[in-house]
Amino acid sequence: MPGVRMVPAMTETALSKMVGRREGGILERVVLAVTFGLVVIFTLFIDGFATAGNLRVVLSNSASLVMLSCGMAVVIISRGLDLSLIAQMVAGATIFSVMVSGGSPASLALLVAVVAMATVGFVNAFLIAYVGISAMLATLASAMFVTGVFRFAILRGEFILLLPKSNPAVMFLAGNILPGVTVPVALMIVTLVATALLLRVSTAGSVIYAMGDNYQAARLTGLPVRRTTVIVYVFASITALLAGLVTSAASGAVDFRTVSSGTLLFDVILVVVLGGIPLRGGRGGIRNILIGAALIAILRNGMTLMNFTTQTQDALRGVVLILAIVIDNYLNPRDTETDTVGDL
Amino acid sequence: MVYKFGNRVRNAAIALLVGASVALGSAGTTSAGTDIAGKKVIFIPIAMGISLTEGWARRMKEDAALHGYTLEIRDPAFSSSAMAELLAKAISEKPDVLVVHNPTVQLLARQIKQAEAAGIKVLQLNLQSNQPSSAFVGANWTRIGHDVAEDIVKECGAGSGKSGKVAIIPGQLTAADSVMLNDAAFKVFKDHPEIQVVSNQASDWEPEKARQITATVLQQHPDLCAIFGHWDVHTMGAGHAVKDAGLEDKVLVYATGGGDNVTCKAVEDKILDRVWSYDADGQGRDAATMIDLLLQGASAKDGSMLSVDSPLKIIKAGPTYDPSLCWKM
Repeated sequence: MPGVRMVPAMTETALSKMVGRREGGILERVVLAVTFGLVVIFTLFIDGFATAGNLRVVLSNSASLVMLSCGMAVVIISRGLDLSLIAQMVAGATIFSVMVSGGSPASLALLVAVVAMATVGFVNAFLIAYVGISAMLATLASAMFVTGVFRFAILRGEFILLLPKSNPAVMFLAGNILPGVTVPVALMIVTLVATALLLRVSTAGSVIYAMGDNYQAARLTGLPVRRTTVIVYVFASITALLAGLVTSAASGAVDFRTVSSGTLLFDVILVVVLGGIPLRGGRGGIRNILIGAALIAILRNGMTLMNFTTQTQDALRGVVLILAIVIDNYLNPRDTETDTVGDL
Repeated sequence: MVYKFGNRVRNAAIALLVGASVALGSAGTTSAGTDIAGKKVIFIPIAMGISLTEGWARRMKEDAALHGYTLEIRDPAFSSSAMAELLAKAISEKPDVLVVHNPTVQLLARQIKQAEAAGIKVLQLNLQSNQPSSAFVGANWTRIGHDVAEDIVKECGAGSGKSGKVAIIPGQLTAADSVMLNDAAFKVFKDHPEIQVVSNQASDWEPEKARQITATVLQQHPDLCAIFGHWDVHTMGAGHAVKDAGLEDKVLVYATGGGDNVTCKAVEDKILDRVWSYDADGQGRDAATMIDLLLQGASAKDGSMLSVDSPLKIIKAGPTYDPSLCWKM
C-alpha cells in the first residue's frame, strides 16, 4: 500500500523486550542516561560546570525553551504541529513591549497581548479543525502572516525593538520573585504545572491523548476533537507569549530575526522529540519535556563553557536530533494503526 | 571625544580629490545636479529596519532627491539567498551604481565582479567583500579592532590588577567586520600574554544568544575583565547579562556600532561601557557623496578602489560621556 510502511505483526522490538517495558519509555531512558553521562563528563572536565551558580544559569537560560516546549508538546501529543510558535512568541512580546514602552500599565499590556495571541491560536485551530488544512501548512502560513503584520504594521519595518533596562515591567520580568528564584524560572514552573493539569487532570487532556492515538477513532466516537483542537492551539499560544515576555525582558530586545533564523523552533522540536514524545502523538507528558530540555540545556551550557563556536553547536545538536529520530523510529515503529491520515 | 586619525582622513580626502579631479578633468567645469539627474542607483542592504541601514538610506534619499537621480532600495530582510537573487536582478537592470552591504566577505564576491565587468560601478558600504570594486565607504574595522584591543590591554593587562580575561562576541565568524576585528584584536593580544580570551563565540547578531553566552561565561569566569561585542545591538544582550549578574562596575562592555541614540541610552543605563561609533548618519552622507562622484565618472587613476574611512567617535561612560555624540533618526 503506497505511503504505508508495513511492519511485522510483532511490533515490539528486541530491545524493548529485553528491558521489559513499553516501547515509548525506551527513548527517554536513553536520553536520560546520555544526559547523566554528559553531566559526569562536564563535571570532571569543565571548570565551573558543577556549581550552584551555573545551575541557576542553566535554569534561567532554558526557561523560555521549556515554556515553548510545553506548548509544542501538547500540540504534538494531539497529533498536530505548531510552526508559528516562535512568531507568536515574538509578536506577543512586541505587543507587550510597545505598550509598556508607551506608558501603558503592564497589566493592560499583558491583557491585550493574551487576547491577541489567543486569537492567533484560535485562528490556527480553526484552520486546522474546521477548514481542514494540515497543521504544518496552517501554522506555517500563520507564522508568515503574524511576522509580516507585526513587523510592518506595529514596528513599521523595524526588525528589533530595544527595551530600556530601566522600565519597571522589564525589571520585574528579569528580576527575582523570591530570593534565588527568578521570574523566568517561576513562570517556567507555572507553565509546567499548567501543562500537567491540562494533560492529566482535565477532560480535554483525555481527548488530546485520544486524538493523538487515533484521530479518526476519537472523532467517530463523538469526542469533541474540534473544540479540543482550539484548546490545544490557544494553550500553545499562551505558552509562546510567556516565553516571549521573559526572553525580551532578559535580553532587552524583541528580535524578529529569532523567527527567520529558525534555530529556536528547531530546539523546541528537539526537546519534544528527545524527551520521547513521538511526532505522531498520543504519548508523553511533563516528564518527557523535562528530560528533553535537560539534555539540550546541559549540552548547550557545556558547549558554551568549552568555547565551541555557534556553528559547531548547531551541527552537534543536529546530529543529536537525527540520532534521536532514528532511535525513535526503531523503538516506535509505525504500524497500520499509527500510520494514518494526519501523521507528519 | 572625536577620535583622531589623521592618516585615515588624509587618505580619504586624497581618494575623494582624485575622484573629483578625474570627474572635473573629463568634463571641464561641471555641476553634479545637472550631470547626474536621471541616473539610476540601486541599494541592497543586508536588511532595512535597523537604524544603521535606515540612517544610510535617509541621507542617500535626500541626496537623490537633491540631484535628481533615482535611488531604489531592495530589502532582502537578512536572507542571504534573497540578497543574491536581488543582486542578480539588479545587475540585469544595469543601474549606474550599485550599493551593496556585504553580509560576509565571500557571499557577493562573484556578483560584484560580474557587475563591475558589466560596467556597473559598485559601492561597498561599511562591510567589504574579498572582491574589490569601484569604491568603499565605511568603518576601518582593522583600526577599530586594534584600538579596542589596545584599550582592553590598558584596562585589563599588566599593571591593571585585573584578571586579563576577555570574552569576544562576534556577529558571525565569517562576517567581514568580525573577521577583521578579530584579526586585529588577536594581533594586539598576541603581544600581551597576560590577556586571555576565554570565549569567542558568535551570537548570530542576536541579543538573546549574546546574553545566554555571557551569562554562562560569567559563571565560569566571574573575574572576567572585559567583553568585546562586535555590534552594539547584540552586545546589549551581553550587557544585560552583566548587569543581571551585578557585575556592571567590574566588567567592561565594549562594542562597535552606528551610534544612534539607542546606543547612548544603553551607555547611560550601564548596559554598554565603551562604543566605537562609526556614525551611521555621517556614513550615509559620505556614501551619498561617493555616489555623486561615481555617477560623474570618478575612478582612481590606477584602477584601485576609491576608499573613504568613516570618522570614528568613542562613546564612553563616565565623566567624559557626551550624549551629543549619538545621532537620532
